[in-house]
Amino acid sequence: MDAIATNKQLNNDEIFDLMKQFITEVIGEEFVEEMDITPQSSFTKDLEMDSIEIVSFSEKIKTHFGEQIDFTGWLSAMDLDQLINLNLEMIINYIHECQLSR
Amino acid sequence: MAKFVFIVPPLTGHINPTLSMGAVLLQRGHQVGWITLDPELALKLPEGGELLLIQYNESDQDKQDSEKYLDIITKKIVYGIDSIKFLYEEVLIPLNRHSYEGIVSWLEKYKPDLVITDHQMFAGAIAAVNHKIPYATSVTAPAAIKIMDELPKVHEWEVNQIVALQKELGIDKPASIACSGILTMVLTSREFFGELELPDTYHFVGPVINRKPVNTHFDWDLLHKNNRPKILVSIGTTFDHEHKKNFFAKVIEAFEDEDLTVVVVSDPELFDLWPENFIVQRMVPQLELLPHLDAVVCHGGHNTVCETLMNGLPMVVIPIAYDQSHVAGRVVRVGAGLRLNFNRFKGKHLQQAVQEILHDTTFKTAAQEIKESFIAAGGTETAATLLEQFSVNEPLFLFNN
Repeated sequence: MDAIATNKQLNNDEIFDLMKQFITEVIGEEFVEEMDITPQSSFTKDLEMDSIEIVSFSEKIKTHFGEQIDFTGWLSAMDLDQLINLNLEMIINYIHECQLSR
Repeated sequence: MAKFVFIVPPLTGHINPTLSMGAVLLQRGHQVGWITLDPELALKLPEGGELLLIQYNESDQDKQDSEKYLDIITKKIVYGIDSIKFLYEEVLIPLNRHSYEGIVSWLEKYKPDLVITDHQMFAGAIAAVNHKIPYATSVTAPAAIKIMDELPKVHEWEVNQIVALQKELGIDKPASIACSGILTMVLTSREFFGELELPDTYHFVGPVINRKPVNTHFDWDLLHKNNRPKILVSIGTTFDHEHKKNFFAKVIEAFEDEDLTVVVVSDPELFDLWPENFIVQRMVPQLELLPHLDAVVCHGGHNTVCETLMNGLPMVVIPIAYDQSHVAGRVVRVGAGLRLNFNRFKGKHLQQAVQEILHDTTFKTAAQEIKESFIAAGGTETAATLLEQFSVNEPLFLFNN
């Protein structure tokens, strides 16, 4: 990812598109085409991502935002039920809040 | 001579390694028993091994129905992270709670020098501590402890489930005692397990493969009739439901027109007709078969993955639940294979993935390297020697944990 993209503040739609891009990279384009990904999509139930896929998705966020956002820390603070119910909106809100507080 | 007792859950993958370790201990002149809920284990025990069956008084209503715990894990369709919740709340905790008193009464009767309990039979560890008998732990599903690193809060949740049961059974400690503080044998190699800081009491002994031949008919002539590449497709013994039909339908789609011989472990009645290049059997002599094959497609159960790597074969892993996603992650990380998503993959993806691992030799080379690391770790003999060492040092280690 280029440095310009990582430094500017993203609005929620832009964050959503970026998340979609990461999901595509993790699970493959052709699968994403068949899915209706919305902010309400949950990782486990709707996107059927297993734990290793969720871990690699979080690595992509970490690489993209670097120091700006402690995404791995945020994710690793989730207990099992929260992780099962994790959806895109929760991540978008978290990234949004991190940007505001900078 | 020492007296050993293995405490095993009714899960094939967790039992098999103990049969090999026990067989070596028996050959070396020790006395070995197995505490289990499953009467059928008697048929599998090595010669001289004693079956210590957990049985409860007929009058105790709650304790009578041991049978329902034997296949509890196969009863529900589970997938992904959800499955961990199911595994603990509906399988492991009830199973361990149910087994505890039976384990205690066998420990009192049998008086072993060393208990070897499975990492998911924490009731064994609790019983050993309460009765001041030293215990070792065998970690038959090493990826389950890898979760510490990858999803720490999930691990913490698991520990909390175990700690609550410990408390109920009289051990008030904030940490899980499932893994022994004197000897925890991790049945894989460091190389395959990956980086993770662990206490010195953890020993990587390599996979302990069950060498007792399976008495199953197999048509070897049919297997060798063609020179084409040969693969095995198996999703183990744990998933006995709808998963299977969907899965094998995709396997058929992937390989029916391929120049491959496909050995499938499945109930042949699952479909009326299988393609002509398929050999379908409910059971196969897997260890005898693997040396004749070129690749394996599996769900990422620890034993099948280790047996495949022990034969230096590349694989496609399609994890379904529990720790299998993490096993698949390791296979990919070491370069010995590819992974597909169980719910998402289609026939053509499986077909492409298998062609890729058959033709790109780097997969096989990586598998061979893991094989070397497994051999170097020592396996069954090394595990048995460790157990012998800890059985004679009893007084020193009485206060394990």
